[in-house]
Amino acid sequence: MGEKIKSIRSYEPIVGPAVLNQLRQLAGNLEGLRVVHVNSTKTGGGVAEILTWMIAFMRELGIDASWEVIGGNEPFFNTTKLFHNGLQGNQVSLSTHHIKAYEETNRNNAETLRHKLEDADIVFIHDPQPAMLLSLCSGRRGKWIWRCHIDASQPYRPVWKYLRPLLEGYDASIFSMAEFTRALPHPQFLVAPSIDPLSEKNIDLPQSEIDDVYNRFGLSPDKPILTQVSRFDRFKDPLGVIYGYKLARKCCPIQLVLAGGSADDDPEGAEVLREVREAAQDDPDIHVLMLPPDAHRTINALQRCSDVIIQKSTREGFGLTVTEGLWKGKPVIGGQVGGIALQVINHHTGFLVNSPEGMAQRVRYLMNHREVMKTMGNKGREFVRENFLLTRHLREYLTLMVGLRRGFSSRLIAAT
Amino acid sequence: MKEEILNIEIKGKSAAVTPFQIKDCALIVRICDQLPAINLRELHERVGNCPEDSLYHHFCETVVRPSFDDPEFHNDFARWARHALHDHVLAERLEILHPYSFDNMEDLRKELIDIIADRLSEIHYIPWALHDQAFFFRSATTVVFDTTRIIESPEDLCNAIDEMTTSSLYYHFWEARRRTPGKIDDFSHWLLDWNDRGKPLIKAFSQIDFYFMSLPELQQRLRQVIKDTGKSWAKK
Repeated sequence: MGEKIKSIRSYEPIVGPAVLNQLRQLAGNLEGLRVVHVNSTKTGGGVAEILTWMIAFMRELGIDASWEVIGGNEPFFNTTKLFHNGLQGNQVSLSTHHIKAYEETNRNNAETLRHKLEDADIVFIHDPQPAMLLSLCSGRRGKWIWRCHIDASQPYRPVWKYLRPLLEGYDASIFSMAEFTRALPHPQFLVAPSIDPLSEKNIDLPQSEIDDVYNRFGLSPDKPILTQVSRFDRFKDPLGVIYGYKLARKCCPIQLVLAGGSADDDPEGAEVLREVREAAQDDPDIHVLMLPPDAHRTINALQRCSDVIIQKSTREGFGLTVTEGLWKGKPVIGGQVGGIALQVINHHTGFLVNSPEGMAQRVRYLMNHREVMKTMGNKGREFVRENFLLTRHLREYLTLMVGLRRGFSSRLIAAT
Repeated sequence: MKEEILNIEIKGKSAAVTPFQIKDCALIVRICDQLPAINLRELHERVGNCPEDSLYHHFCETVVRPSFDDPEFHNDFARWARHALHDHVLAERLEILHPYSFDNMEDLRKELIDIIADRLSEIHYIPWALHDQAFFFRSATTVVFDTTRIIESPEDLCNAIDEMTTSSLYYHFWEARRRTPGKIDDFSHWLLDWNDRGKPLIKAFSQIDFYFMSLPELQQRLRQVIKDTGKSWAKK
């Protein structure tokens, strides 16, 4: 957010020239293709972050890519928030007023966007907010893809019953993991998320900036640091992390950093934060840090000065904080849920745990095997370089688009 | 298998061998129409009906999709048996399956079904996975493209392999076995045209137990093999 968009060439020192050549060769098959992405916000949130670089990179590769943001009023966004929560399985109260607000907003946006969308070769509709546009663009000539960024595997039934007919007409959908998919009558593709190694969150920092966080937050340079970066949310289990830390520190001197954002607008988050502060109050080595939403470099520095990254969630989406920790060459101790289990491999990139006791045990092991930490950290960084940087993410979109143009079979020979 | 490769007739046209064209590939993975399996009995039923491409994906494309190279399990069925069903015996029996030792995917399917059926007959319960650990049948589309780079002689192979992406290596060393007549890798296929200069490398490549390596490990092994063979060239 607010970061300067880089050229694809900037990534060459990180991924190597061959990876960039792959992108150029794939994109050579898509030159001039009119591709439109539609979502509901230009700034803030993971989708907007992805689209910011993806549109720029697609253009740089010769694709006629553009990004449209649908406008909406408060009732519309209240409704789509209900959809968001409902798709993730929460019980929500959906009324006819909500449906009316949703449909009216989509109709208004269709009036503005219809010509462009109907004319495009490929349209990517992100999440449920603009999903109805398909049914309002009957003259469409291209392929329409619904990109679902959330776990829709166990939606609240009334929400799914309303949304499903709007989604059935798409030519394909994309989910982040197989486990997040929901049966739909069209091909469902899998594209995992990624991180940007040159973003403020992940870029290499000068040592002075890393050292600075010790002073800023009163951290001791003499004790190993465990860090969990996450919202103060029960599913992230911050109280379990504190308990695990307390068990581990009986055997080794350590300190714990719990870094998260403000919970002012989240009543449950505020309650969790209060409980966390209460659990931490008698221990000067527990640092509960409330950071502003744009404190990306600070989070980056905290992760880099840590010895171990913790992500002891009991429920998780893909878990990009794990990816970020691995990219910084740190072993990760994570809960055995969601995408964490895809990234943390026992004894290789870290450890999967199911309890605070399991976390404590693994912390003790790592504190007594410093050379293992280093090996794990190196493996984790290479694993992310190969699999979870934005170049892989873009490559999969390009591959999908070639497939959409040429028809899917087990092997397609691209034009050269 | 190794003998078969070496017995393929060597063509005597080393004077004008066509350069090796380096290709690359990219995969996009999709969910198959097949319902996911939540227990071993469902897996048994669904393996019988899943598309051949899905079997290929779960056995052979695991190495190239965005995931960690699992050092313990190289196919998804073994991994699922171990981590979702917690059946260590079944996981070991499935892990030892080497897909390239079967004549075709249908033979592999039969063996897979047999192993699962045997296991179902041995145990007195049906192993179940947790609701969020179902086995999803997947397949992939591979888009192949030309890198415009070529290899002109066996001596250039080492540098060329050094500069290849892992997906390019996958295409020429793994995927090649699905499409070449002798089920050999593309490098060996090309080296056949180099008569005596190609033979030692073909032999060395055929002895690599590639299925149990990650692609970076394979890349390293190939480099080493070529360097070692290069020393024998120099001695001659």
